[in-house]
Amino acid sequence: MASDNIQIKVKRQDGPESKPYWQEFEVPFKPHSNIISCLQDIQRNPSTCKGERVNPVVWECNCLEEVCGACTMVINGRVRQACTALVHKLDHPITLEPMSKFPVVRDLHVDRTRMFRNLKKVKAWIHVDGTHDIGEGPILPDEERAKRYVLSECMTCGCCLEACPQFSKDNNFLGAATFAQVRLFNAHPTGKFDQEQRLDAVMGEGGIADCGNAQVCVEVCPKHIPLTESIADVGRQTTLQILKNLFFK
Amino acid sequence: MDRVSKDQLHYLLLKTHSLTGLVPIGAYLCVHLSVNSLRTVGVLPYQLSIDAINNLPFLIWIETIFIYIPLLFHSFMGFYLSKNARYNLARYRYPRNGLYTLQRLSGAVVFVFLVYHVGTTVVPKWTNGKHLFEAAPFLIEIMNMEFQTWTGRIIYLIGIASAAFHFANGLWGFCISWGLVVGVRAQRNAALAFSLVGVVLTVMGLATVFEFSVHPESTVPTIAGVFSGKGGG
Amino acid sequence: MDKRARKFVVIGGGLAGLACTMKLCEAKAEVVLVSYQAVKRSHSVCAQGGINAAINAKGEGDSPDIHFYDTVKGGDFLANQPLVRDMCFQAPAIIHLMDRLGVAFNRSPEGHLEFRRFGGTLYSRTAFAGATTGQQLLYALDEQVRRYEHDGQVTKLEWHEYLEAVIDHEGVCRGAVLHDLRTGEIFTVGGDAVVLATGGPSQVYGRSTGSTVCTGAAATSAYLQGAKYANGEFIQIHPTAIPGHDKLRLMSESARGEGGRIWVPKKAGDTRSPRDIPEGERYYFLEENHPLFGNLVPRDVASREIYDVVFNKKMGVTGEPMVYLDLTHHSKEYLDDRLGGIIDIYEKFTGDDPRRVPMKIFPAVHYSMGGLWTDFKDDGHGLIDHQSPRNQMTSITGLYAAGEADFQYHGANRLGANSLLSCIYTGLMMGPGLIQYAKNQDKVFENVPHQVFEDAADKWKDRIKQIKSMRGKENPYGLHRELGDVMMEHVLIVRENAKLEKALLLIDDIEIRFRDIHCLDTTHWANPTPSFINQLHSMIHLSKIITVGALLRNEFRGAHYKPEFDLEQPHDFDPHEYVDYLEQKHYGEIPEGAFPEDHLAYMKRFEANNENWLKTTIAHYGEGKPHISYEPVDTSLVPPRPRKYE
Repeated sequence: MASDNIQIKVKRQDGPESKPYWQEFEVPFKPHSNIISCLQDIQRNPSTCKGERVNPVVWECNCLEEVCGACTMVINGRVRQACTALVHKLDHPITLEPMSKFPVVRDLHVDRTRMFRNLKKVKAWIHVDGTHDIGEGPILPDEERAKRYVLSECMTCGCCLEACPQFSKDNNFLGAATFAQVRLFNAHPTGKFDQEQRLDAVMGEGGIADCGNAQVCVEVCPKHIPLTESIADVGRQTTLQILKNLFFK
Repeated sequence: MDRVSKDQLHYLLLKTHSLTGLVPIGAYLCVHLSVNSLRTVGVLPYQLSIDAINNLPFLIWIETIFIYIPLLFHSFMGFYLSKNARYNLARYRYPRNGLYTLQRLSGAVVFVFLVYHVGTTVVPKWTNGKHLFEAAPFLIEIMNMEFQTWTGRIIYLIGIASAAFHFANGLWGFCISWGLVVGVRAQRNAALAFSLVGVVLTVMGLATVFEFSVHPESTVPTIAGVFSGKGGG
Repeated sequence: MDKRARKFVVIGGGLAGLACTMKLCEAKAEVVLVSYQAVKRSHSVCAQGGINAAINAKGEGDSPDIHFYDTVKGGDFLANQPLVRDMCFQAPAIIHLMDRLGVAFNRSPEGHLEFRRFGGTLYSRTAFAGATTGQQLLYALDEQVRRYEHDGQVTKLEWHEYLEAVIDHEGVCRGAVLHDLRTGEIFTVGGDAVVLATGGPSQVYGRSTGSTVCTGAAATSAYLQGAKYANGEFIQIHPTAIPGHDKLRLMSESARGEGGRIWVPKKAGDTRSPRDIPEGERYYFLEENHPLFGNLVPRDVASREIYDVVFNKKMGVTGEPMVYLDLTHHSKEYLDDRLGGIIDIYEKFTGDDPRRVPMKIFPAVHYSMGGLWTDFKDDGHGLIDHQSPRNQMTSITGLYAAGEADFQYHGANRLGANSLLSCIYTGLMMGPGLIQYAKNQDKVFENVPHQVFEDAADKWKDRIKQIKSMRGKENPYGLHRELGDVMMEHVLIVRENAKLEKALLLIDDIEIRFRDIHCLDTTHWANPTPSFINQLHSMIHLSKIITVGALLRNEFRGAHYKPEFDLEQPHDFDPHEYVDYLEQKHYGEIPEGAFPEDHLAYMKRFEANNENWLKTTIAHYGEGKPHISYEPVDTSLVPPRPRKYE
């Protein structure tokens, strides 16, 4: 029966330089199924609605429970993870597109290297003396831990950047995810030691001051990370830093 | 330059953009709109305020340094920055995204409006050599003419509302950018407070426009000595 | 030569691979880190509940030795004991290290680490960061490795697949054949040693709690090259997962650690909403059958109980294969703080809010206790000699394994929150040994004839070319699902020899059909299909290791449950009796009447069974199938005894 099938339109692209094109697929409806299981159905039967045999759709996924961040794509015009996009909650026909702010590798699979490069730029790590046993870590109240925990749930999925009007392929804006990581590491008793370097890194072109406060990042973040609060907080930290540099150094 | 690296220079530039929006431009906007609203009280107080300004020593320098240069800097930085924006309000319909879009749009509108506003007031004032006490009657006459037509009224309504919005919303952005307001609730409270500022400024501006439109009164040109002569006796 | 930095190839960017990379970099080595996807997306992120360390933070009298005992007992004494003991003794240092690396572990009121309870123990031993502990630990190690990458010591090859080890004429591993998953290029990298930290094989079962990359292909490839694969038949079935079409999502043991209760309605097929079923009409079967451990019995026990209730007693919720996992007696705030992450997952995938209604869960394939056989050297005092190059080395010289890809530490059944520990432990522990190995080798890989590397690469270029030319009728993805269905139906919780034999026939059939595969996509850029077909080939071999191992092991041990060979422990039996029994035997004859007769008979059965089966299964590849042999287990520290959790 036709009504038991789902129509899925996929924006495909054979390679980074190729032209995108659309293909339409039909997969059987199953209760509680998600976009991943639809794409898996297409793998098992890679033919379009017109009956044309095509290459299976290429996409990135791994954990399928929204902790790895891999399967992020634009579903019905909105960026999100494919694994938590339940079919019965979506408008039909469903459209799938790759994220537009990152170079497409193939079909729905994009290259998010830029995000990881940004983590290097802001030294998103804690510099320890070594891995040998030197006893307990710093003592800190659970409240502070809780504040850091929400930030450390960021899975570098790129939703916040895809939805950010300030972030584009041809600029070098660092974006909300990176700023939240700066806040995360600056909030750690040991991480604080490198605070100045981290703040310096977000004061250049594409840094914190380029944020236009559209605040879409926080709306689309699947982990509900307080991104806008983090941006303001890093804003405060950089303000104090520049004042210190200018007048008290 | 060991105090400030090249990267930090970029930061300073952007911070200055944000700051100039508040002072002097924002502050000037508030003064300008509230002084102009004297017109709703009567022509004379309004006229006196213009007299006071036009009798300031070094007026051209004051205006250039505290208004024209910051304004031009703020405008050109603004245009440069908004070049980077990839508007996506159609996809992500959130109030804040709307305000983000509107902020950039209103900035452009205000810029065009200011070109018109300055071009039809200050520029003819200078070219016609109307200084000191001659300025007020000249300018008031221009304004009376302006608000005779709906075109003029609408241009000013849009201009004033855009400026008030741009300022109030920019104030909010300033607070976040400088880290004065951090928490989500604090951000919301600030937004409420600043929208009140925006509304007050708009109402003041609109009231002035209304007064001009309804009572286009001219005044007798005041000249030096007339008042002192009457009052002094 | 002494000036040259040691060079290693680490395959896999999960906890074990990253921990190993970090440790090697600290010793000034250079590392090529290879990962199938971005390192930060490795399967370790899925671990939820926590990581064990006997710090005795709550003054319960816990100690590393008790942790050790719980672990070997939980694993039904199949693990080599010095390794387990060393791991448990290192555990507190590992937790403190991770804490120093910035992991947001939950804190006690005084600001120290907070611990919670987990299955298989009576102590609060599990440190946790909300309900995403694995993610937090992985990120911390990822950050450290990024630091070394930034400093130029680590070269990351993400989107690269390990195909095979490069083995020279002397049988020593000198590097790895890699497959660039974007360009499709096949090339080799050399290294003083290669570490396989490539995770588990749960994709063999199609749907499991595992990630899509957990195909076990890398470990199987080593097996196909001659490495020994050990204890393959021991597959952990996690008692609580959310059923799904693409995956069976894990519902962490921490839900039970925080007081979650498992029950079914007493009336089979009861259609009332769970909240309308009064307390008296609920059957809390774990609590009733195991009063001491209650809902926190080890995973194998819980899974069997759920299986029994659903399939034998037909008491599944509304007649379906599901039971309730109930947290609704806790406040919303408590749950959000302690279990927020997993509660969100449940809500997102089912639409129900576990804060208000009990979750519906069912067991799912979760972890492989087995894996590549690896060596170790004890220090003669019940711990490990950390400098030994033998530690974690597979039976191929120079090829190492770590994390879920190895077979040590968990015996026949893994305790909750021990996997994160064993992954980080192996990664760190093997570091000094690897450096020693590199120092001691008489020939470096640069001096190995170039031809060895070229041949290895050429073999795989031909292989991929051959895969791409497959033009049969079978869809590889469909065949994979069928393989998974076969394994799920025949080689799961309850194992019967007849069904296992049938499974082997069905796997053979799938292997034949594999030759008739259609390579759906033959393009040259970012084409995952040939790679998947190759992985499917590995999974078919892996399924044979699991099934043959299970078929031959005629006993009931840990996760390997064969009802036919259940020794039928008397209900009133106390495991301490067995210790007395052994002692009395040691000193001579057992006096008459020392033990109840049925107990004595049971203990003799138990002893005889251990004589036969307390052995490590070794699978050796030859002529297309696994050849099974057995090796003794090092039980030098704690004598094996019957398990009981009541």
